[in-house]
Amino acid sequence: MKRLTRILGIALTAALLSVGVASAASLGLTTGKLGAGSVAVNGCTSSSLTATRNVDTNGNVTQVNVLSVPQACAGQTLAITLENSSHTSLGAASALVGTCTGGCTATVTGFGTVSAANVTAYALSLTQ
Amino acid sequence: MRRLTIISRRLAIAIVVATGASVGVGYAASLGLGSNQLHAWSQNLTKGTCNQTSATADDTYVQQALPNSTAGGAATALTISPLAGAQNYAFIRFDLSGCSLPTTAGADSATLTVFVTTNGNDTVSLFPVYSNWSSSTLTWNGVSGLTIGSTATTSFSAASNGSATVTVTADVDSAIKAGTLWGWELRATSGTAIVGIGASENASSMKRPSMTLSYEK
Repeated sequence: MKRLTRILGIALTAALLSVGVASAASLGLTTGKLGAGSVAVNGCTSSSLTATRNVDTNGNVTQVNVLSVPQACAGQTLAITLENSSHTSLGAASALVGTCTGGCTATVTGFGTVSAANVTAYALSLTQ
Repeated sequence: MRRLTIISRRLAIAIVVATGASVGVGYAASLGLGSNQLHAWSQNLTKGTCNQTSATADDTYVQQALPNSTAGGAATALTISPLAGAQNYAFIRFDLSGCSLPTTAGADSATLTVFVTTNGNDTVSLFPVYSNWSSSTLTWNGVSGLTIGSTATTSFSAASNGSATVTVTADVDSAIKAGTLWGWELRATSGTAIVGIGASENASSMKRPSMTLSYEK
């Protein structure tokens, strides 16, 4: 009986080691599939969404609105940088994309005092 | 033999639990790496100007004393009166359709210039108009049917004859996004005089309303 127990113990150890190796392989393969996760994120904004901005009386940017944001992007962080003609940042801000029905307009505020006349480009990103 | 069976069952359970835990770790790693994925893009803006003259202006004034009369089309001056029972309000707008601006465009800067032809001690305030009107039909009684902002965008002193330029960037920016600029109602918010500003029909082009507009699209 002791011998049988010892054999079973060895078998158990071997089995667990095998599972461990298999798990490592699983992790490796799963890690390799993480690119598919990236595709899923891109899928919410496969096209470059259009941004507009509002100004105050002095012509400074008060907010940037990104139009037609798919619902799938809800919960992601929308970051926007206002750039001049040299693509130097004039101001940056971000906000979480909220939930809504259909295409949403995501609004980002808090760029500081940036004259709209000096803004020649927007750099935008969505992160999960 | 029974003890062997029990040991075998425990072994099977242990393997199942260990395997399940490993799979769980795998999913956690997936989520962690997925959270760092990024979608980025950029949007370049085109800058331009589209200054407005009397050629694209429409203006008129309405008279409390003649509540069903129109004054647009022929008047060379727009009168503004704060007198009780005889108030006059002026209206000015520009047709921006020639600028071919999409509703995603915006105003970087916009200034309205009017010329005071009859001065007085009034402060004239500009209230944004958000609904359609035409100088050929607008009357005092018709003003109540318009949607007009309750807060003045800006104001100027009519104390002396000559040009008065005010900044209207935010109003024009909003109008571009709305698709049409319906302009402003000009009303005396202080003072006691009847003042006049040049209309788009004024014989002198320098006395007509004009607007500078720098935009992005």
